[in-house]
Amino acid sequence: MHDFAVFILSHGRPSKVITATTLKRQGYTGSIFIVVDNEDRHIDDYRKIYGDSVVVFDKKKMADSIDEGNNFDERGCIIHARNACFEIAKSIGVKYFMQLDDDYTSFRWRYADKYITKGNVWNLDKLFLLLLAFYKKTKCTSIAIAQGGDFISGEGCRLLNNYKNRARKCMNTFICSTDRPFQFVGQMNEDVNTYTTLATRGHLFLTLPYVGVEQKQTQSQSGGITDLYLKYGTYCKSFTSVMMSPSSVKVFMMGFKEQRLHHRVEWKTTTPQILSEKCKKL
Amino acid sequence: MFAKEQDEEAKKKYSSKVEAPIYEPKVKPRHVFECFDKSKTIKLIADIESSSVSDEEKIMLKEAAERHTIFNYETVADYYAHATPEMQSLMEDSALVIIDFDRAIELGYVQISQDLTAQYGEEYPDA
Repeated sequence: MHDFAVFILSHGRPSKVITATTLKRQGYTGSIFIVVDNEDRHIDDYRKIYGDSVVVFDKKKMADSIDEGNNFDERGCIIHARNACFEIAKSIGVKYFMQLDDDYTSFRWRYADKYITKGNVWNLDKLFLLLLAFYKKTKCTSIAIAQGGDFISGEGCRLLNNYKNRARKCMNTFICSTDRPFQFVGQMNEDVNTYTTLATRGHLFLTLPYVGVEQKQTQSQSGGITDLYLKYGTYCKSFTSVMMSPSSVKVFMMGFKEQRLHHRVEWKTTTPQILSEKCKKL
Repeated sequence: MFAKEQDEEAKKKYSSKVEAPIYEPKVKPRHVFECFDKSKTIKLIADIESSSVSDEEKIMLKEAAERHTIFNYETVADYYAHATPEMQSLMEDSALVIIDFDRAIELGYVQISQDLTAQYGEEYPDA
């Protein structure tokens, strides 16, 4: 995997980059880079822990070159790092990379010919090689593995049940390539904004359900975008996605005891369908 | 309902077989106007036209109003399957459908499913 690296995107919590430990514990032996921005007050602390594996990018410069989807002039979010990764990959000489958040506690098996509820992946090297092979073959703009929340309801969850129509999201664990560049848009909910807006223009994003990441619960770990969501609630977050894709994204109230606003993607009006070549007339 | 019947119903409901997300077009041909819903766009444009904003502003607002046109991509795919080669080509250029050339996606799913099932078996032989 000489042309592949994992980028862990972090901000303000050098001692809590849980993902780095998780990767090594579960059998990843390849390159890891910690991506932080030049506005982070803890850069030196990151360097003390991770040495030359820390890559720093110019956050303001990136903010000025992308569509943040608001005029808050606040940069406590991940979109800048996500977009910076393409140039970072070029600068360190890798073509393929996987973006990970910094708070993953495990990579768990979820589906292997049947729905699985227990068991960590112990050979992440092999998993990443297989994902990369799929990515190279399919020409997707980006692919991701699943996340714990995708499997709420167990075997009846949306991701697995009726998989054909529910697999076009792409979140958290983006596998990307420098020769398939794209821009993440919208400071809040940047993953949803990106896969919905680009999907309507023919970009293919997929989530593969075989493995899922577990992470610290949203709003439980301080630093990064968490602070922005605590400040603005989920109203701005959800409506950013509606603003980006008004014909296909809606909002609804989610939760039982403490309800909060959340986005809902209407898939059949968002993603052009994938058709077999046999449908094409000569 | 008896337990056995409940179990069968659950199996039908929760059919979790992972297959490539390839859409199978319906046999029945669609009318091209079934592919999109422009009602919100039309309403917005009517409001823009009757407003007192400048002509330049109207141009921008009307372009933005098109973002509210809803395309039903399942219907679009159904339409594609019955369209002329020229129409199909133009639909592909506009990314209204994605063609799985050489079955790359379909076969890719088969391959990775097999490979990961084997890896899981190696890591958890007693599962």
